Parts: sequence; C-alpha cells; structure tokens
Amino acid sequence: MLSLCQLLILSCKEEATADEDAWSVNSSPCQRQPAFLPSTGLNPKAAAFSTSERNTKGLVLKEVNAAATDTVKKWQHPSWGKYGWMGPITTDDNGNAYTVPVPVINLLYNPINKQNIIYKVDSRTAAMQPLTELPVTERTATENVFGLLGIYFDCSTQKLYAASIAASTRDKERGILYLIDPADGKILDEWKGHDAMGLCVAGITGEKRLYYGSSRSSDIYSIKVTAEGKFSGEARKECSLDLLGPRGDDKARRIRFDKNGVMLVHGVEFNYNLTAPTERQETVYKFRYSEEEKKWGYEL
Amino acid sequence: MKLSFLPLLFFAGLLSAGCSNPDSSTSTIVDEKDARESILVTDTALANLSPALAAYLQKSNAALNLPVPVLPLAVTDSNQAMAQSIALADPRLKENLFDKASGKPFRNEVFNVYNARPQEIPKGFVESKVYRVELYNYALNLTSIALVDLAGKSVIGVNTVPGTQPEIPAHLKALALQIAVRSPEVIKALGYQPNETEALMANTKTALNATKCERSLHLCVAPTFIKGDKALWVIVDLTDHKLVGIRWTSVGTTGPAPRISERKLQFEKIMECNCKTVQSVSRNGWKMNYVITSSDGLRISEVYYKEKLVINNAKLVDWHVSYSGTDGFGYSDAAGCPEFSQAAVVAVTEPKIKTLEDGGKQVGFVLEQTFSSEQWPRPCNYNYIQRYEFYNDGSFRVACGSLGRGCGNNGTYRPVTRILFANNQNQFAEWNGSGWTNWEQEKWQSQHEQTAYTREGYQYRVGDEQNGFYLAPGNGKFNDGGRGDNAFVYASRFHADKDEGESDLVTIGPCCNTDYRQGPEKFIEPNPEPLRQTQIVVWYVAQLKNNDRAGSEYCWAESVLEKGVYKTKAYPCMSGPLFVPVKK
Repeated sequence: MLSLCQLLILSCKEEATADEDAWSVNSSPCQRQPAFLPSTGLNPKAAAFSTSERNTKGLVLKEVNAAATDTVKKWQHPSWGKYGWMGPITTDDNGNAYTVPVPVINLLYNPINKQNIIYKVDSRTAAMQPLTELPVTERTATENVFGLLGIYFDCSTQKLYAASIAASTRDKERGILYLIDPADGKILDEWKGHDAMGLCVAGITGEKRLYYGSSRSSDIYSIKVTAEGKFSGEARKECSLDLLGPRGDDKARRIRFDKNGVMLVHGVEFNYNLTAPTERQETVYKFRYSEEEKKWGYEL
Repeated sequence: MKLSFLPLLFFAGLLSAGCSNPDSSTSTIVDEKDARESILVTDTALANLSPALAAYLQKSNAALNLPVPVLPLAVTDSNQAMAQSIALADPRLKENLFDKASGKPFRNEVFNVYNARPQEIPKGFVESKVYRVELYNYALNLTSIALVDLAGKSVIGVNTVPGTQPEIPAHLKALALQIAVRSPEVIKALGYQPNETEALMANTKTALNATKCERSLHLCVAPTFIKGDKALWVIVDLTDHKLVGIRWTSVGTTGPAPRISERKLQFEKIMECNCKTVQSVSRNGWKMNYVITSSDGLRISEVYYKEKLVINNAKLVDWHVSYSGTDGFGYSDAAGCPEFSQAAVVAVTEPKIKTLEDGGKQVGFVLEQTFSSEQWPRPCNYNYIQRYEFYNDGSFRVACGSLGRGCGNNGTYRPVTRILFANNQNQFAEWNGSGWTNWEQEKWQSQHEQTAYTREGYQYRVGDEQNGFYLAPGNGKFNDGGRGDNAFVYASRFHADKDEGESDLVTIGPCCNTDYRQGPEKFIEPNPEPLRQTQIVVWYVAQLKNNDRAGSEYCWAESVLEKGVYKTKAYPCMSGPLFVPVKK
C-alpha cells in the first residue's frame, strides 16, 4: 500500500476514451516528470514524491517498488526540508510540484502562522519556494492548528485547487476552497464555508465537477466548475465513507478516478488534532457510478 | 509517607451524568445537550450476567480448549452443519486460530453459515451445494470466509479479511440486547427497564474510531430505544461483553438521525463537559477548578485550601520522549482535548475523582486524567496519566506517569510540569545540608547523587519559614511504584504582563535534549531575573528511563492473551513532586 502522499510522477491515471467533453475531463493525465529528475540519480520509472518519511522532514523523492530487502534510494533538495512537515502533493504539466504544510505530532516545525502557504518545487532547479500565502481572516490558535489540507492540479484548466480550514473552529465551519493560478499564485475564485481535504476534478457523471472530501464528516461532495474552473452552484453529496472500513468514520484524504471511472478514495482518521500513529490508519475505498440510478455505489 | 490508593468504588460504571453549561446562552444546538448528558462507562467489570450471557461465556471459554478452538454456530440444518464441519477441518482456516508466539488460542467463533450467493460461486460448482462459512477472530479483529462444496466435501477457497467483522448472528444480537436492558445506566436514562423487543437496529454494527472499541478492535453493536421523539443509543462491546456508553439523539424527522459511534460518544462528551466547560470540585478542605486543555493536559486552577489560595494553576505542558539508540529520534507530545486541539495524545476518559487512603483511613483525594494513543499498547503508541493528589493536611502532589509503550526499550520520558504558586511575596530556597539557601535569581538545578535532602526528604522550599511549601521530589518513596525522578527543577518569576507559559503552550521543547534544555530555560536564560519577594513559577521535569526486562518493567505496557482476546498489562512510571505545607 502506498504510504501517505506518495505520488508517482509519471502517471496517476490511465488513459480513457470519452465521447463527451465532461467525460474526458482529466481522463488523460497531463503530469510530466520534473526536468531535474535525471540529476537525482533515481530511477525515473520508479521515482515518486513523498511527504510521509518519518525521519525526514518536508518533501522527499524516493524510489518506490523496491523489494523489502533493498535500501530505498531517496533524494532531497536542501530547500525541501526548510518549511516544516508537508502534506499533500500535486504536479502539473510542466513537471512543477506543489505541496502544502501539515503539522505532524507537534508545531515545532510548523508554526501556525505559516500553515496557509502553498509551496512550489521548480521543475528545472528543484528549489522549493512559497508560491502564495492565502489570507487568514480569523484564527483560533489553540483550537485549530491546521491550514491547508488539500491541493490538486486540474489538467483540464491548468489551474490549482486548494482547500484550507485555517479559520474553522469546532462550532463554525469556515473552510475555503480556492482556484489559483499556478503561474503567479493569484486567487481566481473561492468558495467559502466548506472544510475539505481530498480534491479531484472529474467529469465522470457527465458534468465537470470538483469532488472533495469533507474534513468534518465522512461524506464526499462535489460542486460544479465552469470551463475556466470557477465554482458554480451548490454542493452535492456524492457518497460517504460512513460505517465503511475498519474505523467507520474515515475522512477522504485523497480522491482519484481510475480508467474505468471508479472513484478511489483514500480514507484516514482526522479529528482536528495532532495524533500521528506510526502505523498510518488509511484505507482505500472504491465507488462506482450507476448511470441508471444516478448515484455512487460502494464496491468491496 | 505511606499511601495506598483506593480505586473508584462508588458505583459500577457510571462516572458522570450530564454536565451543566455555565454559558447556556451559547448552547443553542440540541445535539450539544445530548453530548453533555451522554454517559461514558469506563468500568472494566463484566456486565451484569444474564443466564444466557453466563451460558455463552461458559461455551466460549470451553471452546478455547478444543483442538480446533472455534465456537461453532448452533445450526439445525444438516447441510449447514456439514459445511461448518468441513470448513473447520481445513488447514487454511486454521491459520489464525493460535497466537504464533505463545501457542495460545485466539477466541474464534463461527458467525454465519449459508448458501453462497451466485456471484460468489466459481464456475463448475453446483449452486445449491456451495456454502459460505464466516468465522470471526475477536483478538485479531479479522474475518475468515470459507467457501465449502458439499458435493465434493471440500473447501473451495478461504479468504481472510483483516479489520472486518461479519454480519452479527442472532444469538449475539440477543446478548447485546440483554446487556443493554440490564444496564443500570440504560434503566435510569429511560426511567424503566425496557424489554428486548423495544430495541431497534440491534444488528447494526457501529463503526468505531479512536475509542476503546476501535483501539482494541472490539466488536460492538448499538441497540437503540425510542422514547418520544428521542432515541437512546446504547453502545455494547461484544468482545468484553459490557456497556461502553449511552447517548440520546433526536429521532430525526427532517433527515437521517445522527449515528452514534463510540468515538463520537466519547469525544463529544469530553469536549462538551471537560474541554469547553470548567469543572469544579470541593472536598476535604480543598476547592479548585479543572479543565482539559488543548495541549497542556489537565489543568487545575484557583486551588484553595481552607479558603486560602494556594496555587493559581498547574498543568502538564509536554511529554518529551527520546530514544538513546538513534540520535535525535523521539517525540515531543502534547496531551489534551480529543478534537480541535494541539494534542498528539488525547483524552480518552473524563477526569476521575477518587479517594486516597492510608492504612484504612481516608487521607485525601486524587483528580486523575488519562491520555492515550489510539493503538496503545502497540509499539510507538503512548498512554499518559496525570494525578493531582490533595491531602487533608494541606499537602498536595503534582504527579504524572507514562504507561508506555513507546518505540523501544531504550526510551527516556521527560514530562514538563508547570506550577504557579499564589503568593506574590515568595522566595525559593534549596536545602544545603544544614539550612536553607535562597535562590537570588531564576535558576535550574538537577537531582543527582550528591543532592541534599532534609530528613523528611525535602529539597526545596517555596515561601519562607512561616508560609509556603516544602518540595519533596520523587525518590521512590511515594509508594506508587516510582523509582526516583532524577528531576530538573526550575524556578522562574511570574509576569502578569508577559505570557511565559500561562496560556496553552505550543510544544515547549524538542524531544531529545538530555540536559536541562527541556523548554523552561527559555523563561530564565539568557538573563535570569531576581527571584526574591515575587510570584514564582516552579517547573519540574522528571527523567524516567523505561525498562522492558521481565520483572523490572517500567514505563511499559504489553498485550497479553487472556481467554482468547488481548488484554493490556501496564507498568506505569509515576513521577512528580510532593508539596508539604511549612506550617500544617
């Protein structure tokens, strides 16, 4: 099982044919290898970004698919450990990578006032630098130590989506979903009032929608997005991880679709605290869309 | 001072009823009220045994002694019986019947035997002759499924699925209901004893997380009783055969009713009653407030003894855990509230108040709180306990302990405690062997072999000869299994206009310094301030080396197999100073 936030550079989805524009949304991956990859000495066919290395803070490039007896080769640019522990990663069509800080166990390396920054790893130089710092209008420091929880590069619009819960408290859901221009980090659109983690754009139901996992419940929602990627309309509940799996109340950390249109959801425990079990509690769930019933069904 | 600890006895299981919300004007959510009034049961005693439960336990225990230690399903249909028999003889199904390390049997039970569904049957087999046998392993929380071909009298295949539970059979449903209807908590909540037919959804498995059921991977169900427009959820643990807790919800006329899991029950109760609400206790001459903080453990405040303010507040700031085998490897954990907090190790129970006894006499009381990682006692999971002891003679102790297990047997725990004394004309003095020497400035000092103590065991004094407290560090003499604290003690000056730890602290120091640099030195160095006639903060950092050697276990925990399921054996390492009034 892939550990948290490992992302194969070459491809995360297989190709699919499509008859309609919506159906083809993100069915063909656009991600490219970063240009700096050959200089790392890693096998380009097996290299993946990771932020789950417990002994190495920040972002790491490692070879996956190693046999149990092999020493896993890793590589880290000096700038990749400067900004604390990192969380989700996404890559674009030029081989740039984007990641966001997520604290692990404590805030020693992830100060609260730096939790709403998106970092970019340059495809040519491999240097990681802040791309943009999203505004935080309200903050209750002791109650919610998280900021950004989700990031996703949408191939169809070549824009970034990001999800931040920085202003949320136990009593008030104030999370914001952002549409961002990766060229300069400018906010192009935002949608307020929704705490989210996993993000993915797909057109599997015939409509181009941003799918997101709530960080407050086990539900997965979607909102329609325009051709430019802007938010349109209201949230719609798609399916839920409630009562599924060993824990029964996982939150959707990562959402992807395979070549057959099956939704793959990586569910994790998340309670707005800093518990970090060494054996990560994560399960992959599958949902298949029924055209006849117009709903998602859970597949064992 | 010899003490014996008298565990909670006053009634089985019920530790708290509702908690009031002093700021009721903000409590506009009905669910919040239900959370406050929910009951968490932490008593480990077995449920009130009904005859059926007693008989079931007898059969279950007897099955552990069988060559194939599986409690079979009672079936009358001959095909089901044959399918079960064939399945239990298959070596593939025996894979998970015994613990490989000890050879002891796990508790296994056949839950279901039925005709396999067409989509489950491989080609070439006669549908009516293929049966599915589902076996549940309580210790490992896994399900084994055997497909049996009656025609060929063989097992087609066995599939083992960890972390899953089969459909609960009728007899276990009945047992869960019996546990529920016989529970005093349920009877009191409903105002009468329900009969079993009134329960709804008894066969619904609750999905559980970060609760006792999830942490120990127990099988739980939630019988629910309707009363008016409310539903009483009763979470029953079928691995331990006991009640986990109860909670009311609305029936849900405008939408689906909220689902109550053990985690939701537990977390929301603790959040509403102990994180959002400051509680108070007044007994044995003592009066104080207490609350579970976001990251500083259980905090006591406004602590009075016989109407005199003694300490403003005390709390547990961090746990630093370092491992000597690997440089810089360790954790700096905060303990605190289970949700919306900075805690890495969270509160899993409500604070408990227990009587302290010595030689059969009541000598005081203790306020106790547990924080635990979800998967404790598995490796790299932690369980911490805080204990504030208050004695009738005005002494008090700020204690804490680790129940392991940690990531190895080469670990050292360093809990950082902060205590703000009330008097703003205090002095801090140390015993020099023949008298008391005041600390003129903020300072730290460690316990070591040459440390001088008075004959009563006091090392420091906060106050003066007329007023104040002596400080006796842990030296293995508090009759709690502690082996000595080897502590760093720091004294710093309190500033009302500068926050030096008064509010919830983010992690104060890194995991793995082995010297005095545990965090409090930040409020002393580089320019120590004068410490005379001022309000003083005392910081205490014990250093507790763990040990896993048989017979010498310390700061340690193990899972042991008892009657087919895992139980935890804990070996706490307790630490913390005792403060004794200068004039009693």
